[in-house]
Amino acid sequence: MSGVDRGAVPSSGTLRSFDFPTVERRKLPSGLDLRVALMNRLPMVSLNLFMRGGEAALGEHRAGLAVLTADALEGGTGKRSGSELAEELERIGARVSADGGWEGTSVALSCLADRLPRAMELLSEMLLEPSFPEEEVTRAREQQLASIRQRAMDPASLASDVALASYYAEGVPYGRPVDGTVVSIGEMSRASMVGYVEANYRPGEGGLVVVGDVEPAEVEQLVTSHLGRWLGAPASRVDFDVKPATRERRVRIVHRPGAVQSEIRVGHVGTARSTPDYYPLSIANMVLGGMFTSRLNLNLREENGFTYGVRSRFTFRSRPGPFQVSTAAGNEVTAPAVREIMHELVRMADEGPTGEEVAAARDYAAGVFGLQLETAGQIAARVSQLVVFGLPDDHFDRYRDAVRSVTTAEAAAAAARHIRPEEVQIVVVGDADVIGDPIRKLEMGTVEILGV
Amino acid sequence: MSRLSLDFQRHRLDNGLKVVLAPDRTVPVVATNLWYGVGSRNEPAGRTGFAHLFEHMMFQGSAHVPKNRHFELIERVGGTLNATTWFDRTNYFETVPSHELELTLWLESDRMGWMLPAMDQAKLDNQRDVVKNEKLQRYDNQPYGDWSERLQRLVYPEDHPYHHTVIGSMADIDAATLDDVASFFRTFYRPNNAVLTIAGDVDPVAALEQVKLYFGDIEPGAPIPPVPGNPELPPLIGETRRDHVVSDVPLPRVIMGFRTPSYASDEFAVAEVARSLLGMGRASRLYRRLVRERRVAKSVVTYVYPLLSGAGLFLVWGTGYPGSDPAVLEEAISEELAALGRAEQHEIDRAIALIETDLVRSLERVAERADLLSMFDLYFDDPGRLNHEVDRLRSVALDRVRSFATDRLGEDNRAVVIYQPEKDR
Repeated sequence: MSGVDRGAVPSSGTLRSFDFPTVERRKLPSGLDLRVALMNRLPMVSLNLFMRGGEAALGEHRAGLAVLTADALEGGTGKRSGSELAEELERIGARVSADGGWEGTSVALSCLADRLPRAMELLSEMLLEPSFPEEEVTRAREQQLASIRQRAMDPASLASDVALASYYAEGVPYGRPVDGTVVSIGEMSRASMVGYVEANYRPGEGGLVVVGDVEPAEVEQLVTSHLGRWLGAPASRVDFDVKPATRERRVRIVHRPGAVQSEIRVGHVGTARSTPDYYPLSIANMVLGGMFTSRLNLNLREENGFTYGVRSRFTFRSRPGPFQVSTAAGNEVTAPAVREIMHELVRMADEGPTGEEVAAARDYAAGVFGLQLETAGQIAARVSQLVVFGLPDDHFDRYRDAVRSVTTAEAAAAAARHIRPEEVQIVVVGDADVIGDPIRKLEMGTVEILGV
Repeated sequence: MSRLSLDFQRHRLDNGLKVVLAPDRTVPVVATNLWYGVGSRNEPAGRTGFAHLFEHMMFQGSAHVPKNRHFELIERVGGTLNATTWFDRTNYFETVPSHELELTLWLESDRMGWMLPAMDQAKLDNQRDVVKNEKLQRYDNQPYGDWSERLQRLVYPEDHPYHHTVIGSMADIDAATLDDVASFFRTFYRPNNAVLTIAGDVDPVAALEQVKLYFGDIEPGAPIPPVPGNPELPPLIGETRRDHVVSDVPLPRVIMGFRTPSYASDEFAVAEVARSLLGMGRASRLYRRLVRERRVAKSVVTYVYPLLSGAGLFLVWGTGYPGSDPAVLEEAISEELAALGRAEQHEIDRAIALIETDLVRSLERVAERADLLSMFDLYFDDPGRLNHEVDRLRSVALDRVRSFATDRLGEDNRAVVIYQPEKDR
């Protein structure tokens, strides 16, 4: 019955182009940068509010305050308790979350579109009149302290935390965990949170993004009526230079007696979002470890079976975030996995990707971009990135062309500039009695064993 | 009244393959999704974890597709892909720009029809190592990583297909052979044991022709053999069973499991509503009482496993603070479970409102639509159930939620796994 030729890859159909939704941008008199996009596939709306500041603008003794304050924001308002606020939001099916991060605080809301007016009213109340009752402050603080303890005993989190501290020089915020330390969190009070909100929960330099089944004019009216009197800009300033802890390759093994597998991190200080190499570097990284068919994954997983998966990543922030390879490997293949990671790093830095690999990564990046424009939440998150990094309004309109224009030589040059195998810090969390000697034999640099 | 009215159409090929087509032309993205009616419950004795290992083998190529080619081709067109194995089923899915639909049909049909010629020992050994590393990473090297194994042992008898976990045991994974791959394929990976859903930017007439072209000449298999062991079991555990674990975990944790009616039963909706009332959202009973007011829990989770064989699993999970006594946390959870007997209608309304938002939000993605349509067709022969999900839950009466507390969440139907940190002892 079938006339199909199974030996040949089917040819593509006709490409349907799809544009990034039109974003209407309005600067409100209060200074708030409002961006609205209509998407009426389903009766949903997603809202993202970004307020600049965040953990990168906090000194070490206040580490974790932006995260903690965002966590405690649900604790209540001048009009109602935390439980009453949750009840009011959830009875209309509204999901609200507040997250403190390196760049600032993001508040996200999603609900059915016809419930936006009520949700907006409650959200404004949270932002403008948070009450931070003492028992809610205590709860948020104790939860965060317990989370820090959980991270310290979770091999994957522990590996990442030790790795970041190994990449960055003392005092660089990016070298510490984003949610603070036992010491800094232990000292935080209601007054710290109230002070943080007063100084930094401000519309200036941030932005409000609303995407969904909504009319831009109606959204503007709604926002003006609830947030029209909200004024000012954040007081905090990001003020630090990014310096690496060392330029010498080192190995640190965090000893976990009896561990049956090792968590492996290999990396160094990366580069900022503003780098002119953003596109070629992203493409080079995809070839290295940013997709399933990357060199690292095909080598460590599909060829050698050392791991369930391995990836590499440049975390782009307003200052240079980390570049890192992450994986987990069984005890007996830990050293071979480290060896192969180093082999791929050297090969990428020295030779760059091939033309065929660059073409495959370009096609992947350009295609996947189109796949991620389906939901209001995806669009809202993307538009928020424009706000966070100060990117031009037409950034996403040009994204696919920018990706497709990356040449093999550009990707190779970016890899050579930003991937430095001789400077990586290798962090392994595992049983040092089992994995220590094989790792030493790799001769990757001085090996230091840390207790837990 | 439901706000959902997703269009779809159903077909069945002569070889038994069920086909669901759900067009939505707004975004040029299409999801191809296949559910096979096989999961860990179908594993024979001595082969726990095999359904999942087999899922990995499905990505190792087929007669016309060399190793790694499946991934390369999908990533090359900017697509995403994956597969998951669960107790009752295994699913495979790709999302691609819509002009590449045919590529996904070619790849999925080639491995449904012509997987075995591409199998060899090296591929099996390689994926065995990958899966063993997956087990190490996700379970064995994780604090609390063995919780599901411990809980399932308490909730389901030894001869029940849910007694063992989906990931299985290292010894059984080691024991798997190429013959196992062949016989599993011939028994379960047949068109008459699968649902193919295509959702998104698709012309249903043209797509159906292509589906027939690619899948139509795959031979059907024999009827699917019954699930091994004894899927029938008493509705209640009959007592409280305990497993107290002192180990290298950071915080005390109490995990409770209860047998519920199966997903196929009407009463399952009551369990879903009860679970949402208790643990969904910040106004839920457990969050409000235990996390916010009493501060005996750092976090709480509730979930109900939608399982088909004999009984589902209702799950309540609370994590305590450093140094706290898990017995106090357990007692506090028990009080709230009992108090569910005094639930009010407004709590149901709140839970339904959240469920509705979450469902509509998930349906924004064609991949999610396709997955749910496949599930409802495979499990209930009724993909249209998707449009009535919220109504089904909304129709649960208050008195049924109240009596669920005493009928299902009592001490006569309880499995408790407690983790206590070594250093707290």
